[in-house]
Amino acid sequence: MTFLGRDAIEVEALITDRYLESLLAGHAPAGGASTGDSASAARTAGRRGAPALDESVRFAIGALGRDLPRFHPSFRFEERLSLRLGELAATLRLPAAAGAEGVIIPLHGLDAASDPFDGADEDGRRMGRPIIIGSALTSAALSIAGVAWVAWRRTHPGSTPMARAIRAVNAARAMTAGRTRFD
Amino acid sequence: MARPVFRKVRAAEETAPRLAHLDRDRALVEAARRDPTRFDALYRRYLAQVYSFAYYELGDHHAAEDATERTFLSALANLHRFEERARPEDGHGASTFKVWLFRIARNAIANQRRSVRRHPTAPIEAAAIVADPLDVEGDLVRREDGADAWRAVGQLPADRRRAVILRFVDEMTTAEIAGVMGRSEGAIRVLIHRALRSVAHDLLERRGRTR
Repeated sequence: MTFLGRDAIEVEALITDRYLESLLAGHAPAGGASTGDSASAARTAGRRGAPALDESVRFAIGALGRDLPRFHPSFRFEERLSLRLGELAATLRLPAAAGAEGVIIPLHGLDAASDPFDGADEDGRRMGRPIIIGSALTSAALSIAGVAWVAWRRTHPGSTPMARAIRAVNAARAMTAGRTRFD
Repeated sequence: MARPVFRKVRAAEETAPRLAHLDRDRALVEAARRDPTRFDALYRRYLAQVYSFAYYELGDHHAAEDATERTFLSALANLHRFEERARPEDGHGASTFKVWLFRIARNAIANQRRSVRRHPTAPIEAAAIVADPLDVEGDLVRREDGADAWRAVGQLPADRRRAVILRFVDEMTTAEIAGVMGRSEGAIRVLIHRALRSVAHDLLERRGRTR
């Protein structure tokens, strides 16, 4: 194809494109429903003063706009895929649920060479030391509660029949072990 | 004498506002990034378009469903990677969520085609789906027209067919199609123009023969 010939096809393509864009802008519904009667819209666009368009191309645009449908999958498929996406979304949310949502507060005064209060804002002055809020605080609180519970249990032995039985067995074992060692 | 006109048109084109690149899905994408369960809104919005694209490309409902499923699962899993380049200053190669999603769909369809090795086969069946069961005479004409259009599009080379489907079925702009297909807007314009000429020639010839 000659240089001028290539230009000619590009000009024609541009005219076709402008026509299609005007059709899309004035005709295509926002939600993207069916294309409807493109031929009538094409005629309307032509009357509005769009550049001259080849009649055969206009005919093809009308035919394709009218006769190429948009397909929709079955309702069952749509809901099944929606469920799968929901499951995947739930797994993607898991890291956040495990405590990653903890708020990290900027640390002031970590640099030993600088004065921790120098240039710090009012919040920085009040804090004065690093604080991590969120999952770390939760885990620390749980640890303290666990230590307290174990200490309390050691000083308050259980009084249920099972606890008494366990204590009796332990005491008998200790006595037996002492006898075999010194006999 | 075509050159001055051509230059004039191209200059006008370059100064035209690129409204096509404004991403209308921005709010939904942000919501889905914060909470992945909110992806459902994007899924419902684009399900029919992605499925139609897959069906026209693969010609089989089951294969189209598989490709659609892979597309949306992949999109949700990789949503954090999506980078919107939809502002006017982003220039060419701008990408909206819709373009990004259809790029994933294109890859899923290519993989599906490789694995299934099937080609479009059933134009009459597809045309029958959209026919009105109460209008028998009109139904027959529409079936024939639909089948003719389907056949004409099916005979196009793959890249032209893809551009036509994205344009007429998925109602994409030239910029969006260029983004999906990884070509320049000029190349897409020429592809579609040539495809329309082929389709017109095919349809007119068929009508001439039937008369």
